[in-house]
Amino acid sequence: MPRPAAAPEARLATAPLFHRVFVANRGEVAARVARTCEALGVTPVLAASVADRDAGYTRGREVCCVGPARAAGSYLHMEALVQAALQTRCTAVHPGWGFLSENPVFAALCESHGLTFIGPPAHVMRMMGKKTSARKAMKAAGLSLIPGSDGVLEDLEEARRIADEVGFPVLLKAESGGGGRGMRVARDAGELADAYNDAQAEARAAFGDDRLYLERLIEGGRHVEIQVLGDRFGHAIHLGERDCTVQRNHQKLIEESPSPALGPEERARTLAAAARAAAAIGYVGAGTMEFLLDHGVLRFMEMNTRLQVEHCVTEARAGVDLVAEQLRVAAGHRLSLRQDDITLVGHAIECRINAEDPSQGFRPAPGRITRWRPPTGEGVRVDTHVEEGYVVPPHYDSLLCKLITHGEDREQARARMLAALDAFVCEGVPTTASLHAAILSSRAFIDGDYDTRTIPGMPVLKGSSGS
Amino acid sequence: MAHVPFVPLGAPREQVADDRTFHEQREELLAREETLRARRAEVFAGWGEKYVARVHAKGKMTARERIERLKDPGARIFEVGTFVNHGLTFGGKLTSPAAGVVTAFVPIHGRYCMVIANDNTVASGSWWPQTPEKIERAQQMALRLRLPTIYLVDCSGLFLPEQSRAFPGATGAGHIFKMNSLLSAHGVPQLAGVFGDCIAGGGYMPIISDRVYMTEQAYMVIAGAALIKGAKSTKITSLDIGGPEVHVHQSGCADARVPDDETLLVELRREVARLPGSAIEFYRGGRGAAPPVHPPRELAGLLPVDHRQTYDATQVLARLTDHSLFWELMPDRGREMICGIGTLGGLYAGFIINRQGLVDDPDHPGRRRPGGTLYRDGIAKISTFSRACDSDGIPLFWLQDISGFDIGAEAERQGLLAYGSNLIYTNSTNTTPMFTVLLRKCSGAGYYAMAGMPYDPVVQLSTTISRLSVMEGRTLAIATYNTRLDDNFEIVSRDPEERRSIEEGMAAVSRRIEADMDPYVAARQMDTDEIVELGELRDYLQALCEMAYQAPGHRRIKNPRIWTMHDLQALFGAG
Repeated sequence: MPRPAAAPEARLATAPLFHRVFVANRGEVAARVARTCEALGVTPVLAASVADRDAGYTRGREVCCVGPARAAGSYLHMEALVQAALQTRCTAVHPGWGFLSENPVFAALCESHGLTFIGPPAHVMRMMGKKTSARKAMKAAGLSLIPGSDGVLEDLEEARRIADEVGFPVLLKAESGGGGRGMRVARDAGELADAYNDAQAEARAAFGDDRLYLERLIEGGRHVEIQVLGDRFGHAIHLGERDCTVQRNHQKLIEESPSPALGPEERARTLAAAARAAAAIGYVGAGTMEFLLDHGVLRFMEMNTRLQVEHCVTEARAGVDLVAEQLRVAAGHRLSLRQDDITLVGHAIECRINAEDPSQGFRPAPGRITRWRPPTGEGVRVDTHVEEGYVVPPHYDSLLCKLITHGEDREQARARMLAALDAFVCEGVPTTASLHAAILSSRAFIDGDYDTRTIPGMPVLKGSSGS
Repeated sequence: MAHVPFVPLGAPREQVADDRTFHEQREELLAREETLRARRAEVFAGWGEKYVARVHAKGKMTARERIERLKDPGARIFEVGTFVNHGLTFGGKLTSPAAGVVTAFVPIHGRYCMVIANDNTVASGSWWPQTPEKIERAQQMALRLRLPTIYLVDCSGLFLPEQSRAFPGATGAGHIFKMNSLLSAHGVPQLAGVFGDCIAGGGYMPIISDRVYMTEQAYMVIAGAALIKGAKSTKITSLDIGGPEVHVHQSGCADARVPDDETLLVELRREVARLPGSAIEFYRGGRGAAPPVHPPRELAGLLPVDHRQTYDATQVLARLTDHSLFWELMPDRGREMICGIGTLGGLYAGFIINRQGLVDDPDHPGRRRPGGTLYRDGIAKISTFSRACDSDGIPLFWLQDISGFDIGAEAERQGLLAYGSNLIYTNSTNTTPMFTVLLRKCSGAGYYAMAGMPYDPVVQLSTTISRLSVMEGRTLAIATYNTRLDDNFEIVSRDPEERRSIEEGMAAVSRRIEADMDPYVAARQMDTDEIVELGELRDYLQALCEMAYQAPGHRRIKNPRIWTMHDLQALFGAG
């Protein structure tokens, strides 16, 4: 399969980087970050809770136990992690994804103790972490938004005015919200006052902050996201999009690139705008802008200021090691790539295989893996921390591995994935592999006939996501 | 170690105060802040619609409209002195909202400027008693922070019926021009826009400025046509005597003429853009502004309105500093005081705050004593910290909720008078910018020791629950009736008549003191610069901190590698 000329690792090898990088994460994430560190001659030091310190992925690697199995006392304990990084003589911290990776306080704390946080500056994370400030910044940078209020609403009158402008149904959301709390739908003008008051009361009770903003409710649509990379010299590039529409209860199941639903003009326009926006906000490192594809228009939803689980899809098409680029820009180097250097090749698909029991409503099923044979073959990549005999601990998410296949087109990537799923053997715990096979072989998936409310090949599930 | 070893501070509101207490305290405070907003609106309205219409009829803008046009779009301005003269009347029944002049920190092209604008909706912008003092105070702030100063002049001169209270003294109107001169002598850029009548004092004020603009309606005169013999018969107007035709072209007292208010304001913005930029971004050193993790709005609700009730002072700091990160210095000594470093808008700032509730008494192990009081170790600690901030050039924020010095035989034997004097010497000779916030009570020498107004903070802010006094009302009542009270301050007499008279007398003393402690009284007589809502305190502090770093080159600003703070950490740090 064609690849961009030089492997990025080769160019990086000559550039001095951090000697030791603390990996403030676990499992597949830690294994993924450690792999690139080792390839670059950087020593990774893995944070590990009591539950993980003897796991196979830590074998032969430096490990520092940071606390009990419970994440609040280990992988989420900022001060313990900073202390561990300092004590193990690390000079930078890679937060991976999940846990503290999007916590600007952790980033600021690392920096104030002389540890480089491998991610964007804390204040940029903070700005993009808040809904209205992120919307403002992205609008100013030229991205389309979901129509709605520019900032927090003054009062019900303003809500009425804006709702009339953008059209019903609308969604009222708490500025400090999260987890669906402080959120109400108004389907018409008659419902607006109640929705406003309910959302405000709930937000006040839950967050001590009753400020609301308003967006048009977009039902369905497809979830498309754009990978960006920036350096400290104001240079930012994009590495194409990923389509993550196949979700269950807001959890992404399958990601692919390119998006089969996105038109070429809208793709080109938004990719370029996303790179410009990243530069405009002073973005450093890897990040993802999430969009809702609404009748052909990509509307900005939020930015994830970190690497994502599904970054491998982009790596497969671009031939770029994103973790290597992260380390590079964190150490103050320029990006090794210009936009022109990026050639996106073929089609890639990723399936997240979890230790969950599909017959029990996808209940997480921790336990010992008695047999483990990950698939191999052309265009197949497996990212995992699991090996035979591994015990999936009950304390964390239940991801076992990610299967990534790459092909010349969607059909080849899909066929390779089906073959990989078929060859994949995991015994001891139930997995979601069969679910993925069913989705990938469905007519709806093949035809691209689905949105965020439906899982292709599955009956419509109660509680499956809207926007 | 040259790093600034921050740690996360504070806890979510639910863990600090239960819902009921929080909401009760919040309601009580918000009621007071509602009054504050209403009174501000009243001041902003000047003399009301009729006078606004009169200004508009002349094709001019009001002072507040001018400021609105001058500031960066979307930026907020930080006004000081809103309540000067609030509630006072002059020459019979005339009020002077804001003392007839708006003074505010206004961001223009990303640089904070001090804008001093005569309120043309209040007696044509004339100067009342305390108007000169208010202008001079604003000039003083600008001088100490080296902020470009902009005068929007539209002033018909002194309000003559009260001239004896605004003209002759050390801070009489003429002192404004001395301040003009000092600003100029210290290299602070001054710009003036002349929009209308500028008679006598109003005429002098613009002249020292580096650039003077006049609209076609503006004139500057030592005396207007009304005082010129023969002016009536020859139909000479003030505009003929001192308009742009004269001053721009003949006298050279102004630099440029512009058709109207709008154009003049555009020109002023362009002038500011020509000045060297702000150093704020440089001193941030790569850090950006980030709000606290714990919302500053929660301060309303966490601070009990009743000054006798306690709260956790660290939760206040956690709602003021960027990312709620803080580095406490000397944490194990003088625990009644908390001092340390945080950032505001990405810039280093020192904080000193009184811990409330009971603290360990180091002199009597096992015993506890009330916080919010100055004891020996605490005084020594904040004195050391204050000196270190001065040495390091870190702007220092004093957050007062202090009932005063410890008293009694032991306190005197320890020499609190001398420890306190050392602190006062330190604060009096500091050159780093200091800012004071009267969170709640600020009593007696505690108010002095923690850099209250007499110690020249650049700006002092009050809240709606500030209580400024030598002593609380009840204390003064006890002092007044001392001879009639026993050891426990109970009334000695058994005679019901006498008891009632003493009780009433004590209550009257308490009431009078209570009324004097009203923050609006302090603001009215310029004993404090502004009353702010608790929820906007962080915004004010961030803006003030940014101003303290805006102008490079005039004051010491050390980088953290060479901070004295690290010496304190080495000597007193935990562990």
